Amino acid sequence: MLNHSRVSSLVLLFVIVAALLAACGGTAPAPAGQAATAAPAAAAPTAAAAAPEATAAPAAAEATAAPAAEPSAGGILNGVTLPDDAAPPDQQVLIEHYDNTADFTTIDFWESVYKRGGSIADLLTEPLVRINKNFEIVPAAATEWSVDSSGLVWTFKLDPNLIWSDDTPVTADDFVATFRYGADPKHAWDFTWFFGGVIKNWNDAVAGKVPLDQLGVTAVDAHTLQITTESPAPYIPAMMLYSQALQKKALEAHGGLYNSDPATSVSDGPFILKEWRKGDRLIYEANPKYKGKNKPFIQKVISIGAATSTDFAAYQAGEIDFVGGGNLSPADNDIIAADPELSKEIHPHYGDFRTHYLFFDTKNPPFDNLKVRQAFSHVIDRDTLIKQIIKPSQGIPAYSFLMPGFPAANSEGLKDIQNYDVAKAKQLLAEAGFPDGKGFPKLTLWLRNEAPVRQAMAQAIAASIKQNLGIDVEVSNKETKSFMDALNAKPTQVQFGMVSYGFDFLDPFNMLGVWLGGGRHNWNNAQYDEMVKKAASFTGDPAERTKMFQEAEKLLVSDVPAVFIYHQTVGDLYKPYLKGSELEPDKNGFAAIHWPGYANMSTLVGSLYVSKDVGNRTIP
Amino acid sequence: MARYLVGRVIGLIIVFVIVSIIAFLLMHSIPGGPFDEEKSPLPPAAKANILRKYGLDQPLYVQYLRYMGSALRGDFGISFQSPTETVIQLIGRTWPVSMRLGGMAILVAFTSGLAFGIIAAVKQNTWIDYIVTFVSTLGLTVPPFVIAIWLLLAFAVRLRWLPTGGWPNGTSGDWKTMIMPVITLALGPSALVARYTRSSLVEVIRSDYIRTARAKGLSERVVVLRHALKNALIPLITILAPQIPNLITGTIFVEVIFRVPGLGKFFVSSIYLRDYPMIMATMLLVAVLWSITYLLSDILYTVVDPRIRL
Repeated sequence: MLNHSRVSSLVLLFVIVAALLAACGGTAPAPAGQAATAAPAAAAPTAAAAAPEATAAPAAAEATAAPAAEPSAGGILNGVTLPDDAAPPDQQVLIEHYDNTADFTTIDFWESVYKRGGSIADLLTEPLVRINKNFEIVPAAATEWSVDSSGLVWTFKLDPNLIWSDDTPVTADDFVATFRYGADPKHAWDFTWFFGGVIKNWNDAVAGKVPLDQLGVTAVDAHTLQITTESPAPYIPAMMLYSQALQKKALEAHGGLYNSDPATSVSDGPFILKEWRKGDRLIYEANPKYKGKNKPFIQKVISIGAATSTDFAAYQAGEIDFVGGGNLSPADNDIIAADPELSKEIHPHYGDFRTHYLFFDTKNPPFDNLKVRQAFSHVIDRDTLIKQIIKPSQGIPAYSFLMPGFPAANSEGLKDIQNYDVAKAKQLLAEAGFPDGKGFPKLTLWLRNEAPVRQAMAQAIAASIKQNLGIDVEVSNKETKSFMDALNAKPTQVQFGMVSYGFDFLDPFNMLGVWLGGGRHNWNNAQYDEMVKKAASFTGDPAERTKMFQEAEKLLVSDVPAVFIYHQTVGDLYKPYLKGSELEPDKNGFAAIHWPGYANMSTLVGSLYVSKDVGNRTIP
Repeated sequence: MARYLVGRVIGLIIVFVIVSIIAFLLMHSIPGGPFDEEKSPLPPAAKANILRKYGLDQPLYVQYLRYMGSALRGDFGISFQSPTETVIQLIGRTWPVSMRLGGMAILVAFTSGLAFGIIAAVKQNTWIDYIVTFVSTLGLTVPPFVIAIWLLLAFAVRLRWLPTGGWPNGTSGDWKTMIMPVITLALGPSALVARYTRSSLVEVIRSDYIRTARAKGLSERVVVLRHALKNALIPLITILAPQIPNLITGTIFVEVIFRVPGLGKFFVSSIYLRDYPMIMATMLLVAVLWSITYLLSDILYTVVDPRIRL
């Protein structure tokens, strides 16, 4: 199936986990103790979870177990057997808010990434692969994949059982049409950069230089998809998290926004679109025709449009089940910490492996001088910042770019390069020709529309630069679009700023790639570019590939285009009646709803259920 | 009168054109565009594709003329925020909600304010007057967002009598969701009405013609409601007319905190998201509403006070 010597460690993991997951069909293993206490009636069909054929029993799909009969029994829903401690089917509802003040024009990744509604998107499509709580890639629409000896041509075998909710089969043509739509200059997708330089002819197709049928994504037969890359890209399976294909037929008939209206919507994912009242609410229902491996226990997802500032009140009033950590204010977090019940409902996790850092315009004085940049890297006391301002539940100190837990992270090994050492900082600044900051220009520290907590942190950073280096720093919190416009301008208009970056796919290349020359930061290091690009396309021993990335990150940290401040952890709030194996502690001990949340790119969908602790909740 | 009206309307049209030019120039002068990217810069080819798709690659005056050309034909474009509907459809969906909320708030504000103002004036310098004065000062000085949060914490989070937010959709939905936003919105204007009613009524009540009315032997009720109140309303028109466009175009904060799916939030989100068609539409809408309001209140003066002529 796979040529082991040519793939990265990630891909190796995929295979192992794929085998495991194939065995249990993606359905959540029952919580500990279930076997012993299972009522005989409910226990009988549990084996159904193992075999996909068993879930196809048509009668089971319609028969929702009567809740009145025996509330403690699980029952069969849409072909899945509810765990013993699950609430009755009419309570298998997930209620959340979505941010209706943000741009939200679509629920489909391939229509728009930055205007796609947050926590409630990506339930109507089946990507080629998905991830579990340990961020291992497992099969989804693709049952297996392999790469040829050149390392350029990837073959994905599609699950032939998959169908769309209009009863047509899911074929490789749907994937080809989706990728072509993404590259189509007329569509003008806002995420084209992601596949640029990776998929063959992608950039030329986006620029209109080659026709779309020359794209390196082709259908070999109805259930075999081939992806050709420009250079070897061992991270292709990881990238295929974002292969949530649209249906070719609907795309041609109604355009890329066909999922805006239940009448034209079609799904091969675990849910179907039931209702979408723009700006107000969105309702999904379990897809009775779903044939994939991520069958949900949840029968209905209700997403209510609201400003994020109202989330905590609605959660306290028992109206919603989940509040994303990013939507909790410091005041909310203080209330939660002081409340014995709420503090049990907060679950920290890595978020999207986001790192906050200071960056410089390294091509112009004074930051073209390495010693100046090094001096700045040694005056920031991260430990105190985390303790006093960020709070340890919201972040961990960063001395390098890759967060612990992310592939190739080397936090311990790089810890001393940008350590807190004021004496050294003063000496470096003096050597650079600015003793005690004399003659150093006044600086403005640009922030990208930061929350109050990071504005406070930036003020503290400015104060320690003033105190230790004698340099005046004014903090200026800019609105997002103004900030990005100035940052991306060539030449850049931002001399000194603080910003963050989170991952898109689980490979060191994704994170480290933001520092490649010509990207958003005004730092060019040919040696770094070469190291990262070489490692990215390296198809040999995965351990060696990791080492290559670690060398590149060491160079990044040493040349100080950025001073790394902290890795943001996110503490989400969710009700204790949300249960499932994917909410149990992961390999790093985090018991949480991991990125990307309740979306079909995650095995969480096949695992999450509402336990009977929910009582008799009002469903809006 | 007719000549006056024609003159005013021509003046208004000129105002709209000027407003549209200023709005257009201002929104294009803010840095950033509707399709900027969060992460890496878009490849130039991809960026060009996006700009071309939305006609943003044209020079500004061409964009403006194109916009005004289609606007005159009733086509205000497609909102970037909600590309499956036109700006007209988007406003048609959200504005009635805001109008309903604003209308109810105006109704509550006028009736309660008028009632309290009359009582306070009639019972001048008694404890009733002091309470009304105190409460209405409070209503004017405490900002609505503080009131909204108090109501939310007390009635939704602690007591759980009312839902934290929402809005009835057509005939379905929970009418109880309307209580808190209406009260929050009505409180300020109600206090304003009460204070102005009281002070102008107090003044009118001392005037000669009221003394004459009383001398004729009319009951106090008739004196206050028929003779005094009508004259006391004149200053109210000046004060209150401007409240109306404010209330019926939706208020951002109340709609956001109580999850009312109205037009209010688009005034802010359109600017943050650089949703050019929606910015223009909301700007023009406000301009039209204000002009009409002032025109109507000028006409209303002549009705209330026949001495005023246009």
